[in-house]
Amino acid sequence: MPVHAEQTDYRDELLRLRSELEASTRVLVESYRMASLGRLVTGIAHEISTPVGSILCNNGVVLRSLELLRKLLSECSADSAPQLARAREIVETLHNLAAVDKLACERIAAVVPGLKTFARAEETELRKADLNQILRNTLALAQAQFRSRVSVETSLGALPEVECYPQSLHQVFLNLLTNAGQAIEGQGRVTLRTRLEGDHVRVSIRDTGSGIKPEHRSKIFSPGFTTKPIGLGAGLGLSIARQIVVDRHGGSIDFETECGVGTTFHVRIPVARLSNAPG
Amino acid sequence: MSNANVRPAVLIVDDEEMVVTSVRALLNLETDYDVHGFTDPEQAVTFLETHPVDVAVADYVMPKLNGIQFLAKSKLLQPEATRVLLTGYADKQSAIQAINELSLFQYLEKPWDNAALLLVLQNAIERAQLIRQLRDKIAELDAAHSDLKGVQTRLLRAFM
Repeated sequence: MPVHAEQTDYRDELLRLRSELEASTRVLVESYRMASLGRLVTGIAHEISTPVGSILCNNGVVLRSLELLRKLLSECSADSAPQLARAREIVETLHNLAAVDKLACERIAAVVPGLKTFARAEETELRKADLNQILRNTLALAQAQFRSRVSVETSLGALPEVECYPQSLHQVFLNLLTNAGQAIEGQGRVTLRTRLEGDHVRVSIRDTGSGIKPEHRSKIFSPGFTTKPIGLGAGLGLSIARQIVVDRHGGSIDFETECGVGTTFHVRIPVARLSNAPG
Repeated sequence: MSNANVRPAVLIVDDEEMVVTSVRALLNLETDYDVHGFTDPEQAVTFLETHPVDVAVADYVMPKLNGIQFLAKSKLLQPEATRVLLTGYADKQSAIQAINELSLFQYLEKPWDNAALLLVLQNAIERAQLIRQLRDKIAELDAAHSDLKGVQTRLLRAFM
């Protein structure tokens, strides 16, 4: 009957609208979370850069002082041989510790530029940037999640500067690297590769994880789609990544995957933005 | 007029004591510079009124005066001294503002690299000393020029 059919149409329309509203709400909540996170991250970056600067500087002074001490001790006469030997031993130990401290500080210091890039407000200007450097900063952040479980291999080709929105790309790469790490159960490897291919740059991120199941492959770029347990992710990373790469940069993002072997994501960004060209 | 016998003077102001201590230790070990450290920018300004320095290094975020305000005052008090901003607050806008308004010599981000800081300070001091030497030479030339004019006038009178 016509009336019954109409009611079914309205009901379907209502259900469709409700699901759209839910998706929009999720995007809004995620944006709000990201903004709060951005503010937190700025605070952290600023707060740690001063003490780390101080420690790094002191460490440099200690290392140099120990070198000088070593030299002085070697120039001493042999009169108090046992004390001298002991003094040299102590200087060696201190020098080794200070050398380890230097590496530790440099690791912390490496995180700071990545944090600062992440925290800046929504960027509106296209800038020329070195994608390899953006990737290095992103990797410094992502490695905190990988630790010794996931090893990282990089093959960064020579690249020209690319016209882009650096923070947005930083967000995209961070998302892909995080996904790569999470796809790997237990031990594994993530490989990062960049190459210039004609008029665009290709960034490939490969993981040795579980792969994407065939039934999920067409959905992974949809907002709200996630295979992670509730609370671990809103399923927006890839849809936002696609927006950033395709709509804002005029590039492309796709993947190859094999269950049980791994997944590779390819992000292509044109080197120069054609003004007013559609995405 | 040459500064060969006078140790270069460096002023560093940061509201964090640890930064002043670290930089002072670095410079004491690696250089012969006279280091004047302050955690209060207003005290640093008072110091600049009576003590010439070759380079003034300031942090950006400080209470009372921020780094840019402090360096602006130092520019008025000692225009020939070189100005360096050392900061953990990475803001492109304030960097551009500083470089333009203050003729800032260098903008360094924290955490800094010791070797880079040492190189910047060395160049900064060289620049300040060159500018002072230039100013002194110009004064000498001016004095010699007026002497010459005086001699010229007397000579002309002798022939009139």
